[in-house]
Amino acid sequence: MTFEPQGRSLSDFTVELDVYSGPYEWLLALILKDELEIFEIPLRELVDSYVGAREADPTRGGLERDTDFAGSASALVLLKSRTLSPAIDAEAEGDEDEALSPQELAERLTEYLKIRRAAEHLRESLAANAGHYPSAHTMPPRPGRLQVKPERVSLAARRAFSRLIEPPVRHLGPITVTLQELAGMIRTALARGPISYEILTRDMDRLNRAVAFAAALSLAQEGRLTLAQVEPLGPLTLEPTA
Amino acid sequence: MSGEPKPEHLIEAVLLVSSGPISPPDLSSATGLTKSALEGAIEILTQRYTPETSGIVLRNVAGGYQLATNPNCSGAVERFREEARPTPLSNAAHEVLACAFYLGPLTRGAISRVRGVNSDAVVRNLLERALLAEIGTDHEAPGSPALLGVTDEFLAATGSSSPDDFPPLGSLVSPEELSRVHERLSSAATPPEDTGETP
Repeated sequence: MTFEPQGRSLSDFTVELDVYSGPYEWLLALILKDELEIFEIPLRELVDSYVGAREADPTRGGLERDTDFAGSASALVLLKSRTLSPAIDAEAEGDEDEALSPQELAERLTEYLKIRRAAEHLRESLAANAGHYPSAHTMPPRPGRLQVKPERVSLAARRAFSRLIEPPVRHLGPITVTLQELAGMIRTALARGPISYEILTRDMDRLNRAVAFAAALSLAQEGRLTLAQVEPLGPLTLEPTA
Repeated sequence: MSGEPKPEHLIEAVLLVSSGPISPPDLSSATGLTKSALEGAIEILTQRYTPETSGIVLRNVAGGYQLATNPNCSGAVERFREEARPTPLSNAAHEVLACAFYLGPLTRGAISRVRGVNSDAVVRNLLERALLAEIGTDHEAPGSPALLGVTDEFLAATGSSSPDDFPPLGSLVSPEELSRVHERLSSAATPPEDTGETP
């Protein structure tokens, strides 16, 4: 939908509404840019305003100007009606398509009438209480938290940047066996009865021992074996579950 | 200045640094005043800060107390802050607020059903103004839509201390008015008498 200026016959028409005050053409532009809600524009007041201005100064009238206004105002009516129309969610309403009985209609209207009256009451309350500005004071951060000591920044920077250095891994050998393979090996060993972790891993390097331990933990978690250790850091025994 | 501050001075100081209403228990907690001392101090401040005597007024809103500017001085405040007073709300916005206040918490869809028109844009505007807030979820409705209710800012904006300050919804429409609605609907629903003439 577009509003062509057509010689800008309405360029001198200004409107005074609650939600907007200024040139009519700007009002149209703001609506089309979604910077002003069409809901908020009382179209009847808009038309009354045009008619009033036309009657006050007939020399500014003219067929072209009236036509332009009628065209743009009817476009606003169409826009507003289209925006307002998809009011009810059909699925949520269920049998909304069925005509309401007079009783149901009366109940709805009664409820709406009460809401209208409540809205009028609210308008008065809000108007009566407008213009109260509370303290603009907001709590600043505590001064203590703003004190930054250079040595602490330096220490924090050293810690942060030191983490960027890759840890040495030369002491680790190549990974030659997967967790699944080690789990399979443990299960095979357990078929013959309990086995010591040290015996199970005596031919492995440090990395494979760690992976074997992880595999044993995983199997213990699945309930396939029990880890027995009499004393902390003492010998570890893998026992098959009953 | 020396000596112990008076109770009203303590309350005054705490209220000055708060942008929102402070409830009596919070005031007591901050100042260490007993309930009776607090009430006495509030009474003194109420008399001190009136629109007739000061540019600041003490408001009892949203369940607490708040120092705010005298509305008669709002023009000067707005000029100083270089900001215009917020645009008055539209009729649609008042209706949506009335729905949320009297019938809420309720969903956007429920508000639209009461009003008979889509109210999403109006709700959005009121959420931006902090007069409405999403305060829950309707888990039984499809899509679990948000439930909307009015906020403490709404109570403060209407000058209300609590929801009880508002008249009951049923009292807002007279029985006579309601019966007129029913009569009008009944007459509209009655089919015209068959005159026997062929159209």
